[in-house]
Order: sequence, then C-alpha cells, then structure tokens
Amino acid sequence: MSETGDSRGMALVRVWDAPVRLFHWLLVALVAFMFVSGKLDWMTWHMRCGYTVLALVLFRVLWGFVGSSTARFSSFLAGPSAVLGFARRLLSRGDASTPGHNPLGGWMVLLLLAVLLTQAGTGLFANDDVLSEGPLAALVRKDTSDQLSTIHYWNSYLLLLLVALHVIAVAYHWLVKKENLVGAMFTGAKRVPAAAAAESAATRFASPWRALALLGVAALAVYLIVNRPF
Amino acid sequence: MRTKIWTAALALALGAGAAQQAMAQAKPDVLVKQRQAAMILQAKYLGPIGAMLKGNIPYNADVVSRNATYLETLAQMPWDGFQPSTQSEKTKAKPEIFKDPAKFQAAYERLEEETAKLGKVARAKDEAGVRATFGGVAKACGGCHDDFRQK
Repeated sequence: MSETGDSRGMALVRVWDAPVRLFHWLLVALVAFMFVSGKLDWMTWHMRCGYTVLALVLFRVLWGFVGSSTARFSSFLAGPSAVLGFARRLLSRGDASTPGHNPLGGWMVLLLLAVLLTQAGTGLFANDDVLSEGPLAALVRKDTSDQLSTIHYWNSYLLLLLVALHVIAVAYHWLVKKENLVGAMFTGAKRVPAAAAAESAATRFASPWRALALLGVAALAVYLIVNRPF
Repeated sequence: MRTKIWTAALALALGAGAAQQAMAQAKPDVLVKQRQAAMILQAKYLGPIGAMLKGNIPYNADVVSRNATYLETLAQMPWDGFQPSTQSEKTKAKPEIFKDPAKFQAAYERLEEETAKLGKVARAKDEAGVRATFGGVAKACGGCHDDFRQK
C-alpha cells in the first residue's frame, strides 16, 4: 500500500509535536483508570488522577492557543461548509487525508476537551454520600454538590460515548480510507498526498520548553484550586 | 363485673385497632421523610469517624464510641420505611428495592452487621479495631447505594 501510495505522490510529513502525542496517550491511560477507579470506589487515586487529568486538559487548552500550528484551535476549527465538504470526501472513494486534524475531527477535539473539563470540574464539587467528597465540595451547599455529582455520573457516560465515536472514526480511517492515524499519534508523522504535504510545510512547531512551561502553569493552577492555600 | 370486663375488652380492641390503623395509615410522604432522616443522621455520625481515620481531625475515642453506638441504632431505622406505598413518592429509591426485596434486605442487614462490629470495638476504645472495621461500614453504605439508589 505504501509503495503504491508513494507512486501516487504520497509523502511522510511531521504533523504532531511531542506534547500533543504525550498528552493524548497519557489521557488515554488516565481516562481508562478514572473509569475503573470510579466504579471500584478507589477514591484516593480517582481524585489524584482526576487532578492530573484537569491539569493536562488545561495545558491542552493553552496549547490550543499558543502551541504548534497543528495543535491550535484556529487551525482546526472549521466552518460548517468545510465540515460538510470534508464529510462528503470522507464518504466518497477518494483520498480524505489531511495534515493535522480534519474538519470533523477538529470539532471532536473541542467536544472531548469540553466534556473532560466538565467531568473534572464537577468532580471537584462531587460527593458520594458516604465519606468521599471533592476538594471544593465544602464550598457549596449539599444539594448543589449532589446535583454536580449527578452530572459527574452521567457526563462520564457521555465521555465514554464520545471516546467510542472517536475510536470508530479512527478505525474507519484505518480500514476504509487506509490511513494510519494511530501510528501518526505515536510517531508524529503522517502519510499525506504531496499537495497536502506542501501545505503542511507551513506547519510551525512550538518549542517543547514552552509546552513544559505551560504544563507548569496548568499544574500550579490545579494545585491552587485543590489545596486553596489562601 | 361483667360490664367491667366488656369495657376492658372494648377498650383493648379499640386500642389495638387504633395502633394498627396508625401503622397502616403512615403516610407515604412521612415514611420517606423518616427514612431519609435516619440516613442523613447516619451520614452525620459516620463523617467525623472517617475524618479522624483520615487524619483530618484528631482521633477522639469518646466521640468514636458515641457515634458508632448511634450508628448501630440508626442503621436499623430506615428499612421499614420502604413500604410499597412510597413508590410513587419523588425519591432516589430505585424500584429494585421492591422488585428484589431479598437482595435489599441482604444489603441493609450487612450494614446492621458492620455497624454492630464497629460499635463493639468503638465502645472498647479499640482504635485498631475501629480502623479495621470502619471500611466494612463504608462499603456497606456505598454498595447499597450503588444497587438501590438512583444517581
């Protein structure tokens, strides 16, 4: 496949920076753990990992503004006509590969981040009516905490649904469109048509030090939210 | 004499009837409030023991002993409030309580047993025993909530 692909004018281009890839796979592991620990009532580690998820998501939001160009919201949140056009290309026989998030996937990124933020945010205020409560539950009334706990519960299934959709979409790209998106998320490089490759030459990669600094900011913010030292 | 016996019998019958009627007529909304009150008080007396064992507040064996004793009694209170008449009330009780009463009974009896264990060691001022038995009480609460309380 790759030979014929190359003969059709495909090129391997770097699309995902290391921070995006690390964020992605850490999140996969953490979200899986969050489901298990939530169901099994391992609340100490559920909360610790929840803070980590919150810090990672906050980092990703910041990276969406000042990160590498393929990580920026402005580069992958497309208007309705672009989304519809891409959906048509996706269902037709031809090539639909893009260097970076495609117009549909871009919105999925935003949706996943919003649902994750809701999940982590409500978790901070949640209680289980026995002994465990989030670090901010003491700040609100019990009935408010109960309502946020209910949202925390149902939103976890919304997250699960979105994850399933995401995995199905990636499988579709793999099996039907013959695009290996999983490999690209590991190596950072993706095989795209030469024309798209030329476009991706304009990709600007932000310094990993900037990513580290932003992660520090996000971690500090979460530390302050959780511990409220003032 | 005869009149006296008849009067006594009548009084007894009326009394018993009134008592029975009071039980039968326990209004569903009142039953719900009563069982919820018992649960809320369980949370009240469970919470401080949990906070002590986590180290959030200093351990006080007297408070633990008192709270655990309250819990032992409170743990027996809510269950007769789960009458079929309360099914139309707006509560978080799942219909499974009435569909599978045997399972529900097993779940609340577990809490009664666990709180009895905790009460015994707490009154003996046995902190290690409290640490060992407390988890069982918390699990009995959470386990029953998972199966029989709506989210």
